[in-house]
Amino acid sequence: MQRLAKSALLFIAIGLALYAGVYYAAERLMFHTGRSNPFFKIAVTQEATFDWVILGASHAMPLDFGDFNAHMQGETGLRILNLASPGTGPLYNRFVLEHFLRAHRAKNVLYVVDSFAFYSRSWNEERFADAKLLRRTPLEPAIAALIFDYVCHEGVDPRALLDYVAGFSKINNRERFARDVWEGEAQFDRVYRPSASAVKKRMAYLYPDKTAVAALDRYLAELATIVATSRRSGANVVIIKMPTPSQYRSQLPDETTFDRALSPLLTRSEIAFHDFSQAMDEPRFYFDTDHLNRTGLTEFFATHLKPIIISAIRR
Amino acid sequence: MLFTSLEFFVCLPLALMLFALLPAGKRWIWLLLASYGFYGASRPFNLVYLGAVTLFVWGCGAAMERATRESARRLLLTAGLAAVIGSLIAFKFYDFVAGELERVAVEVLGSDSAITLPRLGVATPVGYSFYAFSAASYLVDAFSRRLAGRSGAGELALYLAWFPKILAGPIDRATNFLPQVAQGLRADPERLVLGLQLIGWGLIKKVVIADNLAPMVDKAFGIAAFASPIELLVSVYFFAFQIYCDFSGYTDIAIGVSLLFGLQLMENFRRPYLACSTAEFWGERWHISLGRWFRDYLYIPLGGSRAGPVRQYLNLMLVFIASGLWHAGLGYGVGWTFLVWGALNGAYQWAGVATRPFWTWMAGRLPRASRSLPWLTLRVLLTFHLIAITWVFFRARSLGDAWLILKKIASNLIEIPALLSRFPFTAEHYTAFALIAFLVCVEIIDERRPIVQRLAAGPAALRWCVWYLGIFALLVLGRWQAREFIYMQF
Repeated sequence: MQRLAKSALLFIAIGLALYAGVYYAAERLMFHTGRSNPFFKIAVTQEATFDWVILGASHAMPLDFGDFNAHMQGETGLRILNLASPGTGPLYNRFVLEHFLRAHRAKNVLYVVDSFAFYSRSWNEERFADAKLLRRTPLEPAIAALIFDYVCHEGVDPRALLDYVAGFSKINNRERFARDVWEGEAQFDRVYRPSASAVKKRMAYLYPDKTAVAALDRYLAELATIVATSRRSGANVVIIKMPTPSQYRSQLPDETTFDRALSPLLTRSEIAFHDFSQAMDEPRFYFDTDHLNRTGLTEFFATHLKPIIISAIRR
Repeated sequence: MLFTSLEFFVCLPLALMLFALLPAGKRWIWLLLASYGFYGASRPFNLVYLGAVTLFVWGCGAAMERATRESARRLLLTAGLAAVIGSLIAFKFYDFVAGELERVAVEVLGSDSAITLPRLGVATPVGYSFYAFSAASYLVDAFSRRLAGRSGAGELALYLAWFPKILAGPIDRATNFLPQVAQGLRADPERLVLGLQLIGWGLIKKVVIADNLAPMVDKAFGIAAFASPIELLVSVYFFAFQIYCDFSGYTDIAIGVSLLFGLQLMENFRRPYLACSTAEFWGERWHISLGRWFRDYLYIPLGGSRAGPVRQYLNLMLVFIASGLWHAGLGYGVGWTFLVWGALNGAYQWAGVATRPFWTWMAGRLPRASRSLPWLTLRVLLTFHLIAITWVFFRARSLGDAWLILKKIASNLIEIPALLSRFPFTAEHYTAFALIAFLVCVEIIDERRPIVQRLAAGPAALRWCVWYLGIFALLVLGRWQAREFIYMQF
């Protein structure tokens, strides 16, 4: 019996050593192929202070597609870090911001708001356990501690922490050799051909739980926390809505309720808010149902965004 | 709860620990509770169906035991079978048949005379096809007095609800299961090791092989009209291995988990793609528990091969059509494709019976040639391709799709070498080919002498290496995103 126990222990010890080796290799590989994950960006940045940090979901991501972030920095002479990631709501954005502020500083925070991200756990609590995000998030004790905090206080699934610490999603990453580029980036130069069925599908995907008022209140409170956290760190907050084509906009469920609910927060906190959702209607500005392509983004930046970003210098 | 979920791997050791702490004679009670917990975890209402079947079958069995008149026993058996099999048929087909009747009525009588038939609106409870067949076999065995004194309600409930097999089999017999429970369940180290090996191998087949093939199969079968002949051909091959690894992987895990609790379930797969004929494939190697169920409870009662050649042909076709209907389910719909799939397999059996005298004569005239490796290889390949053709009907969304896929492949057979060189194979394709090659190698080695025996005879270092390779293959290559087992949906 004692011999059996010894063998079992040895088997487990060798297994753990092998696991550690595979985990290390997966972590190194992640650093070789990393690019768009916000935690990866924070881990590899050389700068300590940024003039602008951008937060939000996929609508904010084109601002970092290709060389566009470099283009914006060149045009404005400011340091900009885009920490947006696809399908993430204010709870996840807060998680990113809190980690960023541990060792960095932002003078301004640009929050790109999307109503869908305020209506479902899918885009908030459940995003913490998403293998696609976890497999590209570098292993750091500070991030593990932060996830633990979210598990204890925000209802995040404990399996997210287990997965993050054990590195399972990294070891099991089927796209381990591919660069971490969101699929939309490959279509950045494409021009979208309007499709009603595509918009319908997109709405069903973005609003899986319809539009519940309780969820909206919960996630608006998270946005308020983001604003408060940013301000405590000395950052000014600007909230914008990105342009979307009219075909997409017309199908948004209950967008006026969202706007009405957002309004008191903006007034109370005296946040600068710019609604550009109706600024660019033409399909030629988009690469899919609702994301700006290079032409659209160039136009949007020159006409609308640049003045806002530049204003940070004048302040 | 899936066998591939984290919840299962957390619950299993807990269930085992409590099992070990209880006295042997009382362990079945804990296993019954655990089985109900497992089955009811995703949809508690399913327990109502399971409970109803259990109570009904137990009532019929107990009444049969007490009945003195043969006619009364026969009546109870008929009523029991009619209720169990009838409910299965109703769950599976009533809504489908009602829809088809309405459609035919519109075509024949015109849209003005459209009829609307009432619908059940109830989906077949998960695993119903499996435990309904177990229940039916229990009734027949009770009628035949093969279960005398072994029909306690609790033990019967465990037999029907036993969590490793309830969702996708094997359709074990009460004559095998109940005596083991009656003797008191004990796990011995040898069974534990064998059980863990089976669980490991089952997981590799499911999450490493089947689930890595699935996306390519889904894609090609989903766009059959637009897919290229090579893409379809590759997908047909991939599906043959996907369904094998998915289903036999589940069975291996079910048998392995049962062994951990000291229960030996019947074998369900024996390297089916090494069969030399379709009769061997269905009779001895593929879904053995279902094949034997149909043999013992349908084919033989119908007269089997003893009632003359015409009846034998008829019986064979009936059995395979019934098998086709049994397979119709939620997985790939309840269409006519399953009927064709069953009929095609029945036709293969007809051809096998018709040509048997020729093969017997040939084996007598050319004994060495008929046992030679090239000849056997040819037969294995031919059998595999015949079976692969039937899988097209099994997997396709409609008869039209199945026919289109076969037509596209057949009309381009000559050009395939040229098309192959132009097809944009991806890393996923090459991984899939490598996994299939690995599986075939393992099966060939296992066929000559079981790998379990080879490992047991080899040095410990070799065994450990195999274990580590298996575990890390699961970690690195497995697809763990909770993809359901195909047969769970029947």
